Amino acid sequence: MIRPLTAKRLASVSGLLAALLVLVILVSLKLGAVPVSMVDLATNLGRIVIGQADHLPSEQSLIIREIRLPRILLGVIVGAALSVAGAGFQALLRNPLADPYVLGVSSGAALGAIISLVAAPRVPVAMPIAAFAGALATITAVYFLGRRGGELDSHTLLLAGIISASFLSAVIMFLMTTLSGGELRGIAFWLMGDLTSTRTPLDAGWLFLLLVLAVGAIYTTAADLNLLLTGEQEAMHLGVDVSRVKLVVYVSASLLTGLAVSISGAIGYVGLIVPHVMRLLFGSDHRMLIPASALGGAIAIVIADTLARTLVAPTELPVGAMTAMAGAPMFIYLLRRRFG
Amino acid sequence: MREAHSIPPVRWSVRCILVAATMLGSVWAQQTSPAPAPPQPAPAKIDIIDEAGRHLTVPANVRRIVSLAPNLTETIYALGAQDRLVGVTDFCDFPPEAKQKTKVGGGVNPSVEQIVALKPDLVLAAKSMNRKETVEALEQLGIPVYGTAPVTVEDVIQSVRRIGEAIGAREAGDSLSASLRARLDALKEKLAARTPRRALFVVWVDPLITIGRQTFLADALRLAGAESVVDLPQEWPRIGLEEVVKLQPEYLIFADSHSDGADLASARARELAERPGWRGLDAVRERRIAVISDAVNRPAPRLIDAIEQLARLLHPDAFVEKTADAKEKTQSRLTPANADAMPAAYPPVSGFPFPLPAGGGI
Repeated sequence: MIRPLTAKRLASVSGLLAALLVLVILVSLKLGAVPVSMVDLATNLGRIVIGQADHLPSEQSLIIREIRLPRILLGVIVGAALSVAGAGFQALLRNPLADPYVLGVSSGAALGAIISLVAAPRVPVAMPIAAFAGALATITAVYFLGRRGGELDSHTLLLAGIISASFLSAVIMFLMTTLSGGELRGIAFWLMGDLTSTRTPLDAGWLFLLLVLAVGAIYTTAADLNLLLTGEQEAMHLGVDVSRVKLVVYVSASLLTGLAVSISGAIGYVGLIVPHVMRLLFGSDHRMLIPASALGGAIAIVIADTLARTLVAPTELPVGAMTAMAGAPMFIYLLRRRFG
Repeated sequence: MREAHSIPPVRWSVRCILVAATMLGSVWAQQTSPAPAPPQPAPAKIDIIDEAGRHLTVPANVRRIVSLAPNLTETIYALGAQDRLVGVTDFCDFPPEAKQKTKVGGGVNPSVEQIVALKPDLVLAAKSMNRKETVEALEQLGIPVYGTAPVTVEDVIQSVRRIGEAIGAREAGDSLSASLRARLDALKEKLAARTPRRALFVVWVDPLITIGRQTFLADALRLAGAESVVDLPQEWPRIGLEEVVKLQPEYLIFADSHSDGADLASARARELAERPGWRGLDAVRERRIAVISDAVNRPAPRLIDAIEQLARLLHPDAFVEKTADAKEKTQSRLTPANADAMPAAYPPVSGFPFPLPAGGGI
């Protein structure tokens, strides 16, 4: 079932997903330990939109503005970043199992972030930069390890990724066991995936800007990525500047992974499953897949984090556990429905 | 303490005189003589039951002790048995002299080889910190392990007494536990008419972790005239900040390695006031923040110091009728004589109170 991509279809799918994301955010804002009425929610959102600050914030507006909303927005950034990074790696490596986690890129980002926490705990900007550097270094290493006879070999690549991930995890375990700085105690939670951090490395506005820039950069290569799916040689013959596309996508996807990991630690499955689901639903044209993955990833994380904080309230679950528990069965269902 | 082994032969003449003196019924002779009894040693081994209900056989005269947790090291020092302590963990930092002892590694992952090499005749372990595997490995090698598992403050005091018994320092254990209990009784009397403060004990800020009902910390709070606003069955529940905003505790309680009272509390308040969400707590806005010694985290005799310190912060009016003299006395108890020698910053107590994925108990 291949339908040609038209501007109208792109707009309608994106619009639908964006509307769904807004709906999910509204529901998430309403749910939680403290009940919030629709009136309160509307009043607060209205005030935020017109930029009016509460002089004496009530308990409810404080919970909406300072606890739920920032967390939801971080979830949106993380979900979009991981999904687009996953879609980019899958296209570039022509491997449906590629994902920031499987390839060890997230572990590289996590190691970079941990090293920055140890080396420069007072410099908050150091953490996303170190995470980005770790991600980029890992994907470079995995890419070269995954080549056999000048060609990218799909099995070798996956093995290289898995082995890099386990090597990097071992280094992380080593650091966590030998060092005992105050900051490192929170790392065990952060490694499980955690959106509760009230200290983000950068202002949310900057994070959004970086997200949009990196996703935009990958989007400029969307048509080339479609051709790359047929093979590097073939794409080259069709006039694709393969090395430029690779550079743009590897750097941008590493930036997205570093961004996500520096905010929330290791949240698995999103980068693997969301692009797959979007491909099953809307086809594999990257001009559609990239915006759909960004919105779909945001929806997935916001739902997962809402469940993580409400299912066993007042106790909270790690959001990484939720994405894994919800993502895997959904993926199997979609796969079976399509091929069943 | 009576030494039960035989008298060196070189003291024959002394012994003869002492025996003669004893026969004459002289009281001082009994007080000063080293074991005037005929060579009839006390039982070489005694059977004891530890706090996890395990039976173990220890020498009546324990000479070499290895401690596998910081609170147990502190207890050994408090019992005055530090000369017999031959091995401690990397995290045993109190009293500061403890850092000079031979290290056997961390509490969760100590080197069994190193422990064996120290030839201990008793190893002390804590259920909250050490792993069952470590204890089993040592037992298989024939090294008796005494496990502690306090859940209440009373358990902690009992534990002090029982450790004294296990290491052959029964008198020290009895008197220390009695004095700790007397201090708690005095405190209870002072706080009898006070309403407990509704408090949140903050174990960790990011993510927010507090204490559950089945911890000695929850009990310590009660004894200090407070009650935790969170009442959950887990030991170290991770909770949402929203829940705390809803509960609005009267006080936030933090444990710090260098608690010097007001300065630290106001620094903490300033820091929290800048965090989104936290500034919505009345306790933060009105600076009702109590910072107490991190001794509260260790089930050892200093726990009682921390309870007294907390009670003083939460109910200052209960202590005002006392004279400055009495205040000074308590103050000196809070800061040990060797306060100058104390490190500026302790490394955090690993394994506590931090639910690492790899856990286990005795």
